[in-house]
Amino acid sequence: MSIQFKTIRELREMLDKKAISSEELTNETHKLAENLKDLNCFVTMNEDASIEKSKIIDQADKTDSVLSGIPLAQKDLFCTEGLRTTCSSKILSNFIPPYTATAVKKLESAGSITIGKTNMDEFAMGSSNETSYFGNVHNPWKKGYVPGGSSGGSAAAVAAGIVPAATGTDTGGSIRQPAAHCGITGIKPTYGRVSRWGMIAFASSLDQAGPLARSAEDCAILLNEMSGHDSKDTTSLDIECTDLLDTINQPIKGLKIGIVKEFDLGDLDSEVQNRFEDSKKLYETLGAEFIEISLPNISASVPTYYSIAPAECSSNLSRFDGVRFGHRAENTEDLNDLYIKSRSEGFGDEVKRRILIGTYALSAGYYDAYYKKAQQVRRLIKNDFESAFKSVDLMMTPTSPGTAFAFGSKGAQNPIELYLEDLFTISSNLAGLPAISIPHGKVNSLPAGLQLIGNFLREDQILNAAHIFQKNSEFHLDKPSMEEF
Amino acid sequence: MAWEIVIGIETHVQLSTKTKLFSRASTEFGKSPNTNVNLIDCGLPGVLPSVNKEAFYKAIRFGLAVGAQINQTSIFDRKNYFYADLPKGYQITQMDVPIVLGGTIDIETDKGIKTINITRAHLEEDAGKSIHDQFDGYSAIDLNRAGTPLLEIVSEPEISNAKEAVAYMKAMHQLVTYLDVSDGNMSQGSLRCDANVSVRKIGDPELGTRTEIKNINSFRFVEKAINFEVKRQIKQLENGEVVTQETRLYDSVKDETRPMRSKEFANDYRYFPEPDLLPVVISDKEMQDIKDNFPELAEEKEKRYTKDFGLSEYDAQILASSKIMADFFEQSTKETKNYALLANWLIGEIGAFLNKDAIEINQSKLTPSNLAMLINRIDDQTISGKIGKSIFEEMYASGASPDEIIESQGLQQISDDGEIEKIINSVIQENPDQVTAYLAGKDKLFGFFVGQVMKLTQGKANPQTVNTILKERLKE
Amino acid sequence: MDQETVRTICYLARLQIDEDKAQKIENDLETIIEMIGGLQAFNTENIQPLYSPLEKTAFMHEDIESSDNQKEKFLQNAAVSNEDYFLVPRVVE
Repeated sequence: MSIQFKTIRELREMLDKKAISSEELTNETHKLAENLKDLNCFVTMNEDASIEKSKIIDQADKTDSVLSGIPLAQKDLFCTEGLRTTCSSKILSNFIPPYTATAVKKLESAGSITIGKTNMDEFAMGSSNETSYFGNVHNPWKKGYVPGGSSGGSAAAVAAGIVPAATGTDTGGSIRQPAAHCGITGIKPTYGRVSRWGMIAFASSLDQAGPLARSAEDCAILLNEMSGHDSKDTTSLDIECTDLLDTINQPIKGLKIGIVKEFDLGDLDSEVQNRFEDSKKLYETLGAEFIEISLPNISASVPTYYSIAPAECSSNLSRFDGVRFGHRAENTEDLNDLYIKSRSEGFGDEVKRRILIGTYALSAGYYDAYYKKAQQVRRLIKNDFESAFKSVDLMMTPTSPGTAFAFGSKGAQNPIELYLEDLFTISSNLAGLPAISIPHGKVNSLPAGLQLIGNFLREDQILNAAHIFQKNSEFHLDKPSMEEF
Repeated sequence: MAWEIVIGIETHVQLSTKTKLFSRASTEFGKSPNTNVNLIDCGLPGVLPSVNKEAFYKAIRFGLAVGAQINQTSIFDRKNYFYADLPKGYQITQMDVPIVLGGTIDIETDKGIKTINITRAHLEEDAGKSIHDQFDGYSAIDLNRAGTPLLEIVSEPEISNAKEAVAYMKAMHQLVTYLDVSDGNMSQGSLRCDANVSVRKIGDPELGTRTEIKNINSFRFVEKAINFEVKRQIKQLENGEVVTQETRLYDSVKDETRPMRSKEFANDYRYFPEPDLLPVVISDKEMQDIKDNFPELAEEKEKRYTKDFGLSEYDAQILASSKIMADFFEQSTKETKNYALLANWLIGEIGAFLNKDAIEINQSKLTPSNLAMLINRIDDQTISGKIGKSIFEEMYASGASPDEIIESQGLQQISDDGEIEKIINSVIQENPDQVTAYLAGKDKLFGFFVGQVMKLTQGKANPQTVNTILKERLKE
Repeated sequence: MDQETVRTICYLARLQIDEDKAQKIENDLETIIEMIGGLQAFNTENIQPLYSPLEKTAFMHEDIESSDNQKEKFLQNAAVSNEDYFLVPRVVE
């Protein structure tokens, strides 16, 4: 029985009815991954341990947990004890963590089976999964095209139907944008909802972990498990998490959805605009009401993000010095030489660029003008959202200005081209707000995504709106033909 | 020469918390390398810091004791630089909003009490240790110390010479041990300082270029290092040279300061607020708890000793000047009531022995119980004060109790009148010439007879009894 | 961005750029810095910086020991170490 493209619910049914055992499911998943290895979405497979676990699950008593025996892929940014974790970088290509990230541990405690670690942009820096030390990931919808980034491997693994869901991380759009480019659903929760313990840090005040799956409902299942206070993460929220499935089916009549005035969609590809208009109409038929809102400082998002994220990352990546773990250069003359050579050999160009920008933004004489200034503008952006949310429940934008593109066709000359991919997604990271991307049709045969931005701690609301949309449409049921792979 | 010395001191006090500032690894000294290291202290990818509240409470106690302003909301910042014993490539410290601001410490100088102003005190994590000479061609890194809480206390540049610097450090040491903020153990690195030293011609309004002498870890070295540095700077200036602003180390073997190599390139630390930690807020209730549970300081102890134990002001002051000695004294008072004798022994005999070995009383083999026992045995005349001294030497060397020593060496004082009279009689009988001379008026010979009795009793005869009976017998 | 500045920030970050890539990276840096310079156009007078999206304060933990030390594993992950220490080329102070 084919397991490809099955959702969590469907696999759960198969397991419960004993149509397939956990061990068989795990083995099939590995076979599928092997057959589709041209996608290059995995960096490390977890064969032995996953099969071991599946056997234990088969023998154990039936549990209530929906995720028991369900195969998942974990982004290679999460530390997994005993299983190589690389962040798709040469500098960590041999790193075996002695501990597991909280978010992953929670999913594994719920019974899920970690199939492998997925490919990504190096240290999560990128929007196309073209900066990985282990090579590009292909978009399952079109070979030679990017899946989006940085969680490109996770998105491709789900879109290609290898696993029903995967974990990703989102600092500027890295869950939502690849979800959009691959035609699947992905959600970034409120900052602080999911513990960052064990999540290799890129930009500490922006990073958040979240799920990618075939539907909003499946995302809710994962997010339920991943969320929660963790005393090991001082920035994790100590607020009770409600079951996101409880309210997911609520009718959305009267829901007020904001359209951001300052996002002039007129500059976008006409097909992208059309998809957006179609989705708007669908929501209107479902009872939602559209209101124009203003986020006056929203045009500052990209420069704000590209001052703050590189600054924080330049500091977070200082620990990669070749001394206690990771790549160490040979034949070095002294300690400084060891640092310089290990880091220069170990990091790719995009990472180096961002570290240098960040170092510059924090350096004496520039700190006030760049880093501090950016954090001030960040408050302006957050204030704008707070004001706007007084008149609407959530906001809607396209997830990305365009769709997937050919390898190497963007950013080679000017890095800013790729940075603009994140135009619509970045602001929710700056303000710490939850946001989801759902597929809403094709543009030139490639998937396009619709983004819903929610108010602080209102994942339930955007999941509900996403789910109702999916109950009344079939975009999320579309599958790539996979002929090229 | 009309030179004025300007010194500012940065003291690094290791807080006596059980665990580290940002992790729950133990801070216990002397453990096997890299065992007091949690995931966080190792700076592994994906780890996050979490704040130890006791470190804050200790810092606040210090702030209150010096009359400083406490910033109930304070912020942690990252100080970015690369060094082998700095696992994350940054140190978490407090730059803009430290926990303590201002305050004063009084020091004793030969011109009287001088008040030194404190600029600020903040919390930060200590780095690990590098060992440079144990493995050929390598430096070895031990992260046990990485993450230990430090309180960095910065003084205003108001210290005027090496002696004042030592007085300041001693006052700091007494304060932090009294407050139970640190164990103040300089040999273990619990208290160390950096001295910023500059000189200028008297009357010159401009400050001279200063150098920083780092990581001085004994009072003696503080004095020597500063004296050397001042001489060096003055010599340079007198030769028409310019003092270079640099960081230096004190070499105790050569008794000189020299520039530190690793600080050659000016570092831009790129401070920014620590995004993994949020502002720390100490509640009013926590502040009140700290104030309510404030430990007794030296002055109060002095007063209490004169009142409750009837000690002289002088004795009380000496005992109270060291918390370790004071604690030992008070423990001993639980088992003996002769407080004056106890104080005498601690200040005199015992003090001398400790000084000679340069140790604290709690590093010696003496226990409060044993000392109390010794005092009691002298007090109840089981032994004489003189015998007491030799018993003490044995106690100090072996840690045995006085009773054990008295027993094993048969040192009980002879107080029985009959026995002593017998011995006195034999001394009188065997020394007829001296008796005659004494009775003729040579009073000094009394001491001779006492000496003979003591010789015959191996010093164990009760001196008062000997005196009384000898006087009587000689009269006859 | 002058050569001196590039050299300084490369040193601070302990990174070395290959000769053949140096010009491109410098151009990229200049482009990005120009882009983020656009922030100057926004009025932030009297605005407090927002260092974290959470308007909350740190909770603190008790001073009770809890070790997760795994000495062997920590040392094993290092490229050069012995059974007790991480090793680096000898540092001369």
